[in-house]
Order: sequence, then structure tokens, then C-alpha cells
Amino acid sequence: MLSALLYLRLTSLKNWLRMRLLRLKQPKYLAGAIVGAAYFWFFFFRHSFGETDAPGGAVRRRALHQAGQSLQDAGLTLPTDFGGLPIVIGALVLLVVITLVWVFSLERASLGFTEAEIAFLFPAPITRRGLVHFRLIDAQLRNLIGALFMTLFSNRWMFIGGSPLTHAVGWWLLFTAFNLHLTGVRFTLSRLADAGVGTWRRRAIVPLIPIAVIAATLALRPADQRWVDLTAPDFGATLEKWFLGVTGSAPLSWLIAPGKFLLGPFFADSGRAFLWAIGPAAVVIWAHYVWVVRSIVSFEDGSIVRAEKRAAVISAMRDGKRLGRAPTKGRKPPFVLASTGRPELAFLWKNLLGTWTWLNPRTWAWCALAIVGVTAWVHAHPEWRGALIAAGPIALILAGYALLIGPQLARQDIRSDLVNADLLKTYPLPGWQIVLGELLAPTAILTGVLWLLLLAAAVSFQPGPRAFGFLAPALRDFVRACLAPAARTLLTLCLATLVPLIVALQLFVPNAAALVFPAWFQATRQRAGGGGIDIMGQRLIFFFGQFLTMLIALLPALLSGAVTVWLACFVFPLPPIAGVWLAAVGVLMVLVGELWLGLWFLGGRFERLDLSSELRP
Amino acid sequence: MIEVLALSKRYGDFPAVTDLSFSARPGEVLGLVGPNGAGKTTTLRCLAGIIPATSGTVRLAGHDIAQNPVAAKRNLAFFPDEPRLFDYLTVRQHLNFVARIYGVANYEALAQPLLEELEIADKADELPGALSRGMKQKLAIACGLLHGPSVMFFDEPLTGLDPLGIRRMKDSILKRARAGATIVLSSHLLHLLEEVCSHVLILKKGRKIADGSLAEVSAQFSNGETGVSLEEIFMRATGGSEN
Repeated sequence: MLSALLYLRLTSLKNWLRMRLLRLKQPKYLAGAIVGAAYFWFFFFRHSFGETDAPGGAVRRRALHQAGQSLQDAGLTLPTDFGGLPIVIGALVLLVVITLVWVFSLERASLGFTEAEIAFLFPAPITRRGLVHFRLIDAQLRNLIGALFMTLFSNRWMFIGGSPLTHAVGWWLLFTAFNLHLTGVRFTLSRLADAGVGTWRRRAIVPLIPIAVIAATLALRPADQRWVDLTAPDFGATLEKWFLGVTGSAPLSWLIAPGKFLLGPFFADSGRAFLWAIGPAAVVIWAHYVWVVRSIVSFEDGSIVRAEKRAAVISAMRDGKRLGRAPTKGRKPPFVLASTGRPELAFLWKNLLGTWTWLNPRTWAWCALAIVGVTAWVHAHPEWRGALIAAGPIALILAGYALLIGPQLARQDIRSDLVNADLLKTYPLPGWQIVLGELLAPTAILTGVLWLLLLAAAVSFQPGPRAFGFLAPALRDFVRACLAPAARTLLTLCLATLVPLIVALQLFVPNAAALVFPAWFQATRQRAGGGGIDIMGQRLIFFFGQFLTMLIALLPALLSGAVTVWLACFVFPLPPIAGVWLAAVGVLMVLVGELWLGLWFLGGRFERLDLSSELRP
Repeated sequence: MIEVLALSKRYGDFPAVTDLSFSARPGEVLGLVGPNGAGKTTTLRCLAGIIPATSGTVRLAGHDIAQNPVAAKRNLAFFPDEPRLFDYLTVRQHLNFVARIYGVANYEALAQPLLEELEIADKADELPGALSRGMKQKLAIACGLLHGPSVMFFDEPLTGLDPLGIRRMKDSILKRARAGATIVLSSHLLHLLEEVCSHVLILKKGRKIADGSLAEVSAQFSNGETGVSLEEIFMRATGGSEN
């Protein structure tokens, strides 16, 4: 039986690899694979083939192991005690994770079979234990891949000792034990549920166990060692000593011992220590295996439900839809949509319906009022004015981030509607109107956010007398004049006017990418069955492409503004207010021109879009 | 009225549809049949202006879909096999949205009878996530019919419907045809086509094998026999295989 199951897995793996290699014939996957491989080389593999120990690693290793060595000197110790602080922290982290698993796992036992595996294997003459073994063996493949990746990621931690091989084995042991533990928990909870132990009772009791153990450990320690001495001159060393003392005392030491055994091979700093540590870790794994096999319960129903959910998620990802269950309750529309009028507003209305309910003008007005109110209060209380010094720059920095990252988060536009492209193309609208309509919702949302941040910056910015001292005198005077109260209001209004256009331009780039390179865009969205180094490379190409295009698009507007300011304020000596105003008009015209050109181009592109052709393998 | 002249669609080197010409008049229901991969869906998508044809002309209600797509699309409704709906719009909000897109003034007066006819009036405030497959199909149909199209394309309209839904769908198609709409529908269910269609167009590997009224096509492949079913005609026309 196991040979058939192995055949299934190995054949599937072979075909999967073959398919991945074959698709490299397509330029989009080949380019992605090259960029992805380059990324891995520069960030991970390069270190493996070059310097294996970070500077100062030996010093750090000595320091980290010092506490462990002191325990060893004190008397009989386990091999894992040599690891000192890191291994204890690791074991405690494992304890927390395992506790959370016991608290949050569902009762119904299930194993991660696919729908196809269920269809073929469940009716087949295979025992329940055989199916469990199949899952456990199957999990080993994922464990090995996971261990490989984690070894790459943890390659820079070589200062803790060991080699890539011992780290890989360490990760593998950890993943295997965790996988077995999860399965064991599911079976055990199913049994407990059958025995009448309800979810909430279990959730109340389980966290009490580690808490009680820690309390008992502290209680059993000598009174003068029970708590860390906060007044100790060398607090760091005192804390470490106390921590190792507590975690090394029973009964807490018993509770974290399995975790320490498991982590032992990973933290082993020599071949001998590794061999010495592998035995206890194997015992933990074996105990888990025995636990799982002896606690097998009916898992078929749960597995079917789980497989169906997983299939639905994969299907949603392939269709480019959002993950999770589709909403079932409607919400109040953001505004009343008349049946006649500009059709673009229908897209705004529709896409706003897909956002959070609290994203509305009322929330915005309350936020604006709060900003103005708080700032006015602070201005009225001189002792608090210091808090405002950082508020202005922070608001501007946040605005920059919102402008940069916002378009990646606010995706209620063509990107989310590409899946409905067929439907949209039947509408009696020219392409540019559909594109414009689709851009309105995220533009409105991000504009609202940026206006709030701009408002916060405007009302709280209070440059000191020596501010902008690093600028040339003429430019410094100009900036200071612009930030004087009256000019600052005009500057804020000018920026507020430009914000929707800049946001639209920012959104334009990822939407253009979705329309101009739909096959690439779709490929980067399809995680299910579409992951891999080539897809990761495609995402990197997309990100840098968008960043570069955005910079190029903003350059003419920035140049126009700079030239206008220079001409207005430095060649013709107009007042700074006039310079700002003229520059804003110039920037506005450039941005409007760019957007118009963009809409014209993307509208045409949308009209010619043939997804079926683009996505043909 | 649908007029198709020398329509071709290629995907790279692959010819999905080749040199297809036919016409359908108001009141006619044209059944598009063919084996898997014959080009039925591609043809429908080209006719509806969803994908651009590689060459050829498609005129809907007198408007060239390539030259004057907006005017042509004002007259058409396309119903895909899988209803495409917006997750966050209720049934009523879908109709509101479509009304604005097509500029249907006073749409409420049209929407309510439509919802009642399709028996989804009681679901007006539900989101698609709360609707069954059949209900979603009905909502997609309501959205398509709201602006009173004179040309309709149905791609596998009976997929996922229960027997009652199939009956209602057939009645609905015939009702629109009697009202003067020109309808093209593709389906593998030949008995449905026999009941609903006045005309039939058989495709194979992207090429037209036959078209005309049911009687005409039947006569072409019956070899003088009487009472030959559409299924038998289909088998004879296509040679009983996809290739």
C-alpha cells in the first residue's frame, strides 16, 4: 500500500517539477526565475559560499554559551544544557506555541488530504492507520523543503554554532515534531470532545497548566532566588542568571525538557555535540509518533470539510478573488446612486461598497475635527507644545508612506475587477470611462487619508528659528516664507488640490501594469499552484517596475514646479505666495495632462484586452 | 438583428474561429452547437465585443461592434455560463449599478417586475454570497434584461440549474424572442436546442459545418429520412468526434 502512495507522491512531484521547467519556455516565467534566483543568490547562497561566520561571531558564541557552561560545571547536565540561553528561550517559545495550539485547535480531527486524495484513497482498501502513515510520510516532503528554506534564512545565525547541515537536520526535526504534535492534538481533542470536554472548558484549563507549573517552580525556589533583583548593578547578567536558574528548576525544567531535546541538534556547536543531542530529539519524535498512532480517531469527516475549504480557497485564488468566505450581508450604500448621470460614478459607488463601512465622509470629518481640536488645545497649553514639534514631520513622513504603499493596499479598482473584465467589456462605455470609474474609489480613499495627514502637518508644523539652516540662504528664506501662517494655508490648499491627481497617478501605475501585462499580473496573484522562485521573481520585477514608472511619471511635474518657483521667485522677484500658486498651477496642468494621456492609453488597452489570449498557456 | 461576416479569431497560431458568416433576425433563436473546442464560446465572446476578432465584421442592431462598440453594446446582453457578480452588491444594488451604466431612467419600475418574474424579489437585499447558484444565474439575467436588449447571447444558459430552473429559463428565452429579441445560445444540451431554437449553427474546429432553420439543417443531414433528431444530425454533421 505504501509503495502505491509513494508512487503517487513521487510521480506528482516529478510532473510538478517537469511542468515548472517547461513553463520556463515562456519569457515571463524565465525572467521571473532569473530575477528570483538572483535574489536568492545575493541574499542567501552568497553567504553559504563565502563568509560563514559573522564578524564577532566567536565572541558572541562564547558569551551565549557561557551560562550553559556554568551549568555543566555545576554537575550532571543534559547535552542540551550546553546550549545555554538560546536553547532555553527556544524551548519556551515552543511551549507558548504548543499551548496556543492546544487552546485554539478545533475538536474535529482532520488530516490535510486534497479532494483528489479523498476521492481516490478513502474508498480504497486502505486502513485508517495506513492513511495516517501516508499523511505523515507526505508531510516529510514539506518538512524537508521547509527545513531547507529555514536553513537558508538562518544561515546568518552561524554564530550560535553548528553547520548548515546540523541546522538543516535541526529544522527538519523541529518541523517533524510539530507536525506530529498537531496531528496528535487534533486526535486527542476529538477524543476529549467525545468524552464531553467542551471547547471553552479546554480553553480555560490548558493555559492554566504552564502558568501553574511556572508558579510552582517559583514557589519551590529559595526565597532570595525567587525574583530577579531589579537593583543589581549588572542587571543584564543578573537577569540571565535568574532566568536560567528558574527555567533549569523543576517542575518548569521538566515541562520545557522535550523542547530543549528537540532544539538540541540545531544548537549543537560541534559534530560531537550534534551526535550527542540527536538521541534525545529522536526519542521525542518517536514518543510523538506513538502518541499519534495510538490516538487515531475518525478523521474522515473533518478531512473532507477541510479539503473542501482548501479547494474553495485555491479556486478563489485562481479566480483572483478575495480569500475567505464571500460576504452575505449587504450594507448601506455610500451615497444614493441616481439611475442616470455620469457612469463613472457608478464604479465609485460600487467599489466603495466593497470597502469598510467606516470609510465614509462622516469618519473623515470626525478625524479632521479631532486633529484641529487636539492641535488647538495643545497650542492653548504651552506646556504641551513640545509634543507638536515632532507631529508635523511625522505626519509628512506618514503621508509619504501612504502615497507609496497606499496604492498597494487600496485595490478597489481594475486590479480587483480584472476577474470581471468580461462583464465590464459588455457595458456600453468607452474604455477610458471604465478605467476612470475604476480609479475613483481608491483615489477617494487615499485622498481622504492624505488630506488628514496634510491637515495634521499644516496645523502642527512649527519650524524653529534655526530650521532649514542646511539650505542655501535664498532657498532657506523662501521655504521659511512659504511656511509663514498665511502662505502655509495657501501651500496646504495647493497641495490638497494636487493630492487627488498625484494619488490617481500613483494608482495608475499598478492598474496600467494589470492591463498592459495581464498575464504577468494574473500569474503574480495566483499563489495556489503558482508559487515558486519564478513567481517571486515576477513580483520583484513588478514592484521595481512600478516604482521606476512612478518616478518617471512624477518627474515632469516636479521639474515644472521647480522651474516655475525658480522663475517666479528668483528670476522675477514675485512674493513666495505667488510662486507657490503658480508652481501649483503648473504642476496641476502637467499631472492632468499625464492622467489624460494615461486614461486615453489605458482605455484603448482595456478595449483591446483579450484575457483569454493573454492567459493562454 | 445580428450580421456576421467572415469572422475569424486566432490565438497566436491557433485558429479558434475561421471565416464564420451567418445572420439572425429579430424573433429568431439561433442555437450554436459543436463539439468541445469547436469555438462556440470564442464566437459568442467576439459577437458580444468581449474579445476583439482577428478579422471580419459583426453588426448588432445595425452597429458594427468594432467601429461603434458603445452603440452596439447598448443593444446587447451577454449571459456567461458562470454568472459574474460583484461580491459586495446586493441584488437590488446590482440593478441600481447596471441602471446607471446603461442610463435606465426610473429603473425601479422595471426592476421590480423583473425580479418578480425571475422569482428573486424576496432576495432583493441579499448579497451574492447568500444566493444559490440558480439565484445568481437569475440575478445575472435580471441585470442583462434591465435595459431591454434587442440582442442576447447565452453561453450554456442551463449550467447548474435544477429542472424547474431549466423550464423557467427556456420560457424566458422564448418570451424574449417572441417580443422581438434576436437570441444566440450555445449549449451541449441538444434536446434543449430542439425545443427552444428556431435556427441552428453547427461549428467544428472553428469552422461552420451548417446553419439555417432546424428544418433546413435537418434536411441537409437526414439523407431523406424523416424524424431525425438534432442529436443524430449533430453526430452526422460532426462525424461523431471532436476532430
